[in-house]
Amino acid sequence: MTVSSLESRTREFFERVSNGGKVEMTDWMPDDYRREVLKFIEMHANSEIMGALPEREWINRAPTIHRKLALTAKIQDEVGHSQLLYRLAEDLGKSREQMFTDLLDGRTKFHNVFHYPTYTWADAGIIAWLVDAAAILSQKALLDCSYAPYARTMAKICWEESFHIKHGYDIVVTMMNGTDRQREMVQDALNRWWGPLMQFHGPRTPRETDKDIAWGIKARANEELRQEFLSLYVPRIRELGLTIPDPNLRYDEERGVWEYTEPDWNELRSVVTGHGPRSQERLGFRRMSYEQEAWVRRAVMGRPVV
Amino acid sequence: MEKKVYEVFRQERDGKPFVHSGNVEAPDDALALQYAREMFGRRGESFRLWVVLRDAVLELSDRDLLSPALDRSFRTVQGYRLRDKLAAAQGREAGT
Amino acid sequence: MSESAVPLLLSLADDELVLGYRDSEWTGIAPMLEEDVATSSISQDEIGHAKALYEIVREITGAGVDDLAYGREPREYRCCWLVERPRHDWAFTIARRFLYETADDVRTEALVASSFEPLAGLMRKVRREEKYHLMHVSAWLDRLSESGEARPRLESALALAWPDALTFWEEIEGEDEFLAGGCLPAPSPELRRRWLERVERELAARGLDMPRAAGPEPPTGRGGARTGDFEPFWLEMTETYRLEPGATW
Repeated sequence: MTVSSLESRTREFFERVSNGGKVEMTDWMPDDYRREVLKFIEMHANSEIMGALPEREWINRAPTIHRKLALTAKIQDEVGHSQLLYRLAEDLGKSREQMFTDLLDGRTKFHNVFHYPTYTWADAGIIAWLVDAAAILSQKALLDCSYAPYARTMAKICWEESFHIKHGYDIVVTMMNGTDRQREMVQDALNRWWGPLMQFHGPRTPRETDKDIAWGIKARANEELRQEFLSLYVPRIRELGLTIPDPNLRYDEERGVWEYTEPDWNELRSVVTGHGPRSQERLGFRRMSYEQEAWVRRAVMGRPVV
Repeated sequence: MEKKVYEVFRQERDGKPFVHSGNVEAPDDALALQYAREMFGRRGESFRLWVVLRDAVLELSDRDLLSPALDRSFRTVQGYRLRDKLAAAQGREAGT
Repeated sequence: MSESAVPLLLSLADDELVLGYRDSEWTGIAPMLEEDVATSSISQDEIGHAKALYEIVREITGAGVDDLAYGREPREYRCCWLVERPRHDWAFTIARRFLYETADDVRTEALVASSFEPLAGLMRKVRREEKYHLMHVSAWLDRLSESGEARPRLESALALAWPDALTFWEEIEGEDEFLAGGCLPAPSPELRRRWLERVERELAARGLDMPRAAGPEPPTGRGGARTGDFEPFWLEMTETYRLEPGATW
């Protein structure tokens, strides 16, 4: 391809995707687009598999058989989703081994919320309810993604995850109806998770400068997602008798927006670059499991193992 | 053994069409079926699955072949306007 | 049905519960993502079977299902020793599941003819789910025995699991009584003989030797004796349940 024809093809491509056009795996795409979609999907996949670890800490400590089954099924879904997402990323040209190695070596990221510790069963409830609620809003903003295989996978993932939030909500409501100690456990967990939840959707990148929006990868800006999260969940949290640990949180009727204490963006940057309270411990645990069972992949898949 | 990619088609209910649902990778056919069951059937959402080696799938996407440039309205319902002609026929019939 | 069936029901249920818990420990960290999901499905099945069996016990004794699962002292559980061991590596998990699933298949096959209809009816359903477990473990037995690197690991794992696997067939308390009533259609030694034949055939088909070691002297798991691995496992499994007695979760 000549330089000028590559340029015009690239221009046409971006014009098409910014107008709602869709891209399939076998289509030609500019390297910039491929790289960006791959990076986006890879971080999503990393978050699903790393997200299994905090909840896994409760997999043998669930208080009833029903909770045990639901928690196991929920974590299983997350692992299943990481498989679907890693497959998409593999089809964009990066091997699963390379993605695992980059994750373990800190070269790629995963969501901030999965870098934090858990202390009680209430954490399992708050994670499944509110962390999943925040995540599902981000995921719904991908349902019309210009990279069509990702959009289709997202439809499946959103459908499968619909019970996760209900499972978490059920845990929290049940505990709030329980003993004083149970209510205290939930309030403590909410206090721990509120900061990371407010950071979850990221800083206020304006719509106009967000490349992922321009290229039709995602549909909504970070602040729009955070505002929707607050609109949906602040009333539900408060009606249970829980206190949200932010004295500045209020809805400005006139402007129609939620005001809140500015999230700690330095904390977010530090956490997602591997300096969170459990970043290294969780990566270390994953590395250990990955290396200990490397022989299985060698034996069965005939794969090179890092 | 080398890992292979298999495309999975899911039939939601007996008699319904098979719809492409995604793919799995597996070292062989036996495990490909088991993984397809896990990824696309573990919640009882499938009546049948077709699991096909990706290498066996042929793709045709050439717009010149699939969206012909010239008029093909003669093979669509919209290509036929009967209202006026039918009214004329009915009028003629009523007049006799 | 009389109380005499309870030790049998608890043996069946506790095996499934504890193995389901052990296998669920792979969730999130299995050697491959696909296997992570498959193992999780299997462990959910096992725990679901335990739940259904505890429900039958509840009908007889009035005890709550969760109280049966989490409210007993270690010596009150009736599982065999095989299931309470830690998960070790993937080879042990496969070896244990092969020995267990085969034993469970022999046992449930017999129980379909139980004179105790709630149990016979449940076993018919359970066996539909166990079919997948057998397929899965058989596929893995093939793969591990075919690989030069994996085969010695599988052989050591089979040897390690073997003495505990024999405890699966320890006679159950009051066995004579529920045998006479047709609740258990064949005595444990007869079922054990069928299992040994099956195991030997499956191993021979893959060129693997039958382990020779003897099992421990009873009483073992069915009699309430626990291995040292059980207590830490039990403390974790019941941690939240024991936190606030009587609370709803």
